[in-house]
Amino acid sequence: MTNPDMFDYPDLNSARIRDEKINTLMTAATGAATLLAVVSVVAFLGFIVLLGGAWLAEEQALSATVGQQHSSNFELLLFGGRELASSGGVLPAIVGTVVLTLLMAVIVAPLGIVVALYLTEYSGGGWPTQLLRIGVQNLAAIPSIIYGVFGLAFFVYVIGGRIDELFYASNLPTPTFGTPGLLWASLTLALLTLPTVIVATEEGLLRIPSSLREGSRALGATRVETIFRVVLPAAAPSILTGIILAVARAAGEVAPLMLVGVVRYAPTLPVSIEAPFLQLEQKFMHLGFYVYDLTMHAPGSEGRVGIVAAASLLLVSVIVSLNIVALLLRVRLRRTYVQSGV
Amino acid sequence: MAEGRYDSGDGSVAGRQHISARFSAELEAIKNALLEMGGKTESQINLATRALLNGAGDVAQEVVAMDKDINRMEVDIDEQCARIIARRQPAAFDLRLIISIAKVTTDLERIGDEATRVARMALKSSIREPVRGAESQTMAIAEHGSAMLRRALDAFARLDVDAAVRVLLSAQSAQTDYEEGMVLLQAAISNDPTSLKSCMDQIWALRSLDRVGDHACNVAEQVVYLVTAVDIRHVDEPTLVKLLDSGADT
Amino acid sequence: MDHREALIAASNNRANLNYVAPGIEVQGLSLTYPDEPNALIDINLSIPGGEVTAVIGPSGCGKSTLLRCFNRMNDMLEGCQYSGSITLGDLNILDPMTDVTLLRRRVGMVFQQPNPFPMSIYDNVAYGPRIGGLRRRRDLDEVVENALRLAALWDEVKGQLGKNATVLSLGQQQRLVIARAIAVQPEVLLMDEPASSLDPISTLRIEELIYELKQSYTIVIVTHNMQQAARVSDRTAFLNQGQVVEYDATDKIFTNPSQRATEDYITGRYG
Ligand SMILES: Nc1ncnc2c1ncn2[C@@H]1O[C@H](COP(=O)(O)OP(=O)(O)OP(=O)(O)O)[C@@H](O)[C@H]1O
Ligand SMILES: [Mg+2]
Repeated sequence: MTNPDMFDYPDLNSARIRDEKINTLMTAATGAATLLAVVSVVAFLGFIVLLGGAWLAEEQALSATVGQQHSSNFELLLFGGRELASSGGVLPAIVGTVVLTLLMAVIVAPLGIVVALYLTEYSGGGWPTQLLRIGVQNLAAIPSIIYGVFGLAFFVYVIGGRIDELFYASNLPTPTFGTPGLLWASLTLALLTLPTVIVATEEGLLRIPSSLREGSRALGATRVETIFRVVLPAAAPSILTGIILAVARAAGEVAPLMLVGVVRYAPTLPVSIEAPFLQLEQKFMHLGFYVYDLTMHAPGSEGRVGIVAAASLLLVSVIVSLNIVALLLRVRLRRTYVQSGV
Repeated sequence: MAEGRYDSGDGSVAGRQHISARFSAELEAIKNALLEMGGKTESQINLATRALLNGAGDVAQEVVAMDKDINRMEVDIDEQCARIIARRQPAAFDLRLIISIAKVTTDLERIGDEATRVARMALKSSIREPVRGAESQTMAIAEHGSAMLRRALDAFARLDVDAAVRVLLSAQSAQTDYEEGMVLLQAAISNDPTSLKSCMDQIWALRSLDRVGDHACNVAEQVVYLVTAVDIRHVDEPTLVKLLDSGADT
Repeated sequence: MDHREALIAASNNRANLNYVAPGIEVQGLSLTYPDEPNALIDINLSIPGGEVTAVIGPSGCGKSTLLRCFNRMNDMLEGCQYSGSITLGDLNILDPMTDVTLLRRRVGMVFQQPNPFPMSIYDNVAYGPRIGGLRRRRDLDEVVENALRLAALWDEVKGQLGKNATVLSLGQQQRLVIARAIAVQPEVLLMDEPASSLDPISTLRIEELIYELKQSYTIVIVTHNMQQAARVSDRTAFLNQGQVVEYDATDKIFTNPSQRATEDYITGRYG
């Protein structure tokens, strides 16, 4: 300072000291909160991994002494061990979960994208649009069991019943589609995750600068050409994010599924290697429900926690793998369509 | 020309100020430098004439010394012009102003040279004997030339096309004085061949002073170009008169 | 005539040495935005074909708006209304029956901000021709290379046409969008500040490109750079508050404009 008399600001000084104090406090508080979050996640995962792993190891040791055919933890879990065997193993439940989730994604993605496209590109943006937008966002707040009830009442009874009348009249009164099944479960989950996909897609579409649309139109492209060639590709990462979120949510849902298609034990898988490949009307098993069922009904109290932990470990792994696949896809897309810097 | 596009009533170039006040100041400064240079050449002419007619050696010395200043001013102003073109990329009036200033400096410098030549003559003759023979004509031509110069510079300062055209139209009015002077001096030579040397000096002086008017015309032509963007350097007198009548507002 | 035929016709036209692009006639053009009723007021301009016309004027005076009338880009804006007439050759641009996609193939545009699509350099340049129906890889390759060469970008990107266009420098992006516009072979090229974010060398390159393109293109360029307008254009229009104040040969405008407002603007004086 050239002239200490003139540039002596005691107020400024105290303000700086106060700022530094607040800064220290904030650092500590945010750090503590983050630590808490990390610790709980680690504890939770550790709990599942340790307990589930321990149970698997014990189970293997047991089967080895008994001299059964089981040779690895993997087979043990897939086809059922001493206790799991009673319910046919966990493999059908994994297959059911994956098929259900993929089917749901295939249904929800185009539907969500089309609605989001309508909201951003076609509707004028007036109050009906706003209303629709608010409605969609509030759909996400409805408890999932309500979706299950709706799926049962509307999809299963109304639509399924009508399909049976029209196409499977010969089988009546035994219902074909008029009873809970894979298709209705997927549709219900699709409805449940629709807001997620719509909101994420819309956000992605709104982030595309209008200069890109104008650039395309100025080259003689129509609105549809612009959407398919420029807007959607550029929004692909956001759309995929929405689908990832939808998959994550759907794979973990149990409650609505109990009403629209999941069963404790299904004698056949809903997929097969010969036509028609996919049995849409079939009931199926689901990992989430399996965990619930084990918790409630597994015999013996001391082994129960172990089995449940092992099944949970599986459920978490399946969801994580689904997400990783989607994430890899998104990374690839992002590399192709870097968000425009404009 | 009363309500032309450029009225420098408030002393600023073209009346309106630049958004860059510094640019306005730069143009103003260069214009003032030019007018100062013009004033200096004008007094150089007057002093040189006096020295010639009165045989005042010290005054002639002074005129020769002044020429150094004039030369320095010319270089200086031209440098400023180049700097403004490089840094400001002037357009329209500003561009014409810079072009005309650069051209006027050349004419002013030449006027300075003529004055110096007359002063040298005065110096020589002051050593021998004062020049005699056509004093009144010499006086008249000198006065006429310096008046034209003064009016041309005045027109430049006020951006007055009318006044500039009048300067051009008055160019011929000293012609008779010049011819008379020449006849007188030739007669003097034939009467007294020994006066040949001094009479020749005086003939050269007459010529030099007559040239001042030509240079003043060039200055006036630049004023017309500056204000109207019309180049009148090679037009005949009737066209000039028309320019005067039409108010010169092309 | 569909897009593909138009494209072929345009490039055949160009091959003819005596070809001169058509001019634009603007008569009584007025335009209003919902919150700007005087965006353009009774514009009359006769823009000659095969020449460069510069549009200058203070920010917000309506330069971009005027440009966007020539390819009907203002149609995309909600509540923008215009009246008057604009013709390109024998095409009535403002006629509601005019097919704007065909119009925009004849009247290309380079925007004020470079807006490359988030895809490869090649796909950016090939975008217009593909929309127009050009499918053969060999034809596309040729069109892309020609356009990039014309835009003085080829040498910098020839080895990496698959690179994403958005990672190019701003100056390269600006030349890329010019290449993208000329790949469609328009007759008119509208350039809104094409050198706004360029270094002096790239700017000169673009000016050189403009010079090379003229005759076979009618070019209208908006610029805030007086020297640029003076350098590249044959004619200059000075716009102020939605009106054409003066429209004349560039030489005239920059040495002796006839309007006081024009003079004040180009010499940087208070209005
Ligand atoms: N989409 C729009 N909606 C409403 N008003 C607009 C719109 N676009 C431009 N305007 C208004 O119209 C006027 C002219 O805008 P325009 O963009 O044509 O100016 P410009 O001359 O291109 O300016 P700049 O040099 O800053 O690019 C401005 O007052 C602006 O606010
Ligand atoms: Mg603009």
